[in-house]
Amino acid sequence: MKGAWTIYRREVAGLFFTPLAWVLLCLALLFHGFYFSYYLSGTGGDVNLALSLSLGGGFDFWILLMILPPLLTMRMISEEAESGMLEFLLTAPVSDAGLVVGKALAATTVMTLLWSSSVVFAAVLAWQGGQPDWGQVVGGLLGAVLVSALFCSLGLVASAMSSVALLAAFLAFVFNLLAVALPVVQSQFQGSLREVAAEFVRRVNVIDHLQRSFSAGAFDSADAVFFLSWIGVFLFLAIRLVESRRWR
Amino acid sequence: MGFLGVNGAGKTTTMRILTGYLPATTGSVRVAGFDVLRQSMEVRKRIGYLPESVPLYREHRVEEMMRFQARLHGMTRADAKRRTGDVLERVDLLDRARTPVGKLSKGLRQRVGIAVALLPNPEVLILDEPTSGLDPMQRVAVRELLKSLAADHTVLLSSHILPEVEAVAPRMIIIHRGRIAAAGTRAELVEQLGSGTHVRVEAFVGPAVADAIRLFESIEGVSRVHDRGKLGIHHQFEVECETDLREDVGAMAAAKGWALRELSWHAPELEQLFSRVALELGSHDPAEPQGGQPAPGAEAPPAPAIEAGPGLLSLSVSGPDDDAPASTPPPAADAAPKRIVYNLNPFDQGADRDLGKPKSTDS
Repeated sequence: MKGAWTIYRREVAGLFFTPLAWVLLCLALLFHGFYFSYYLSGTGGDVNLALSLSLGGGFDFWILLMILPPLLTMRMISEEAESGMLEFLLTAPVSDAGLVVGKALAATTVMTLLWSSSVVFAAVLAWQGGQPDWGQVVGGLLGAVLVSALFCSLGLVASAMSSVALLAAFLAFVFNLLAVALPVVQSQFQGSLREVAAEFVRRVNVIDHLQRSFSAGAFDSADAVFFLSWIGVFLFLAIRLVESRRWR
Repeated sequence: MGFLGVNGAGKTTTMRILTGYLPATTGSVRVAGFDVLRQSMEVRKRIGYLPESVPLYREHRVEEMMRFQARLHGMTRADAKRRTGDVLERVDLLDRARTPVGKLSKGLRQRVGIAVALLPNPEVLILDEPTSGLDPMQRVAVRELLKSLAADHTVLLSSHILPEVEAVAPRMIIIHRGRIAAAGTRAELVEQLGSGTHVRVEAFVGPAVADAIRLFESIEGVSRVHDRGKLGIHHQFEVECETDLREDVGAMAAAKGWALRELSWHAPELEQLFSRVALELGSHDPAEPQGGQPAPGAEAPPAPAIEAGPGLLSLSVSGPDDDAPASTPPPAADAAPKRIVYNLNPFDQGADRDLGKPKSTDS
């Protein structure tokens, strides 16, 4: 994991040196804020329900999660491979794992900034006399960060697979769409296959794993392990794909 | 050490193998005593590599790029600061430390690339085409910089331009199609790539060209004689020999009464030998007839450059009146205006021709 921290710092600086991260964050915060006020009014002022919806339960959360990580990670490997920067980094004293993990952490940091806005919403509501459940807020934020890290590592896999940034973003979006839409796919199966598909989806359903514990303010180590395992799997895949560029 | 080869010869691939970026299909590579595959990190710590594309983060300032490299190599903050100042001074970029890399010209970016590679004070500096795409002034500056670096570092650089490598590297490796065609110092390369040294003779030998070749070949030390064809009335030969035999060849010509026009000693330049490797000609031209025998058609008309005479050496005069003198045979009464053509090429149609007389007349 040598060099991960250096790569992480460079990537975060790189993201914020370009307008992309600022524009994305600005639009995402607008979208997220608008939906939070909608949830608040829709639930008749139920602060905790609105916060729960905004951190894993609502429509905007999953839309942002499907769109933002691909846009943040699309250039991270594909463009660096094209520009020759990857050649420079892979001949510097940085391990391949450090390179990928540093980049994944940087993209996750931007997503964390976005989800932190919900904590600000909770703080403002508490200041105005609301009673937010801070345990639930922290749990929700932790879950949102974990699921963001999962989608960012998936984005890096796509970026390592493609030489064109836009294609990498599209690939990552398709992967994300598949991950989120699994229950819909499962409902299409009939007969005995339906049972098998249901069991498979139950095990890999990202939405379910997030909502049943983190969004509800509960911490279930099984769900944490679920997210960490899949993050590990995709990071490992991305590392192997970066390595394969040496002999491809 | 300079890597030399045409585009696609394998220079970049070799450098990538040396840096551990690409694995070698066979064999092993050791840099600074470490195996590049098994002890990759140790090698990476000891090399400074500048790929041909000069990868730099364009959004970063020069000093930020240097700081990034320092962190990658685990340098302390104080060490990084000191080295950044030293290195930027060395590449003459101290005044650009706060300029974003993207705003620098290609030549300056190239120097930033060299500075970044140089920052960790590597034992081995590997530079892939460090002067490509630069203007002549920048090229000279980079060349001077590389020369000064060679005193403290092992510098490996590649180029497809021979004078570039020749100017900087005392030792060269010529790579062709992934193989070493030749390696060594300039003098050693000239020796390895086939000498090609010869005495060039241009003389009027009359019709007995084959006899002249045999006589030249009889001189001690002559390996082959090439017939280079006729140039006017004179015949051109290349007498291949290891040592300068101008006196022997000149004495032979004097003894035979051949009028000499040129007698010179030629040792091929490294560039010519490199071109020969690049064109896969080997040390001898395969099209060349073996054993010094004249090529078929060696008695053919002179070289085209001279044959271009009618335009270059011939004078065409269109007479102002139709009754121009000295036109033989007399023109027919209804003929078009006569053209009198003087041929001023002294080598055309033999030496004893009167140049004052017209070559031919036509209508």
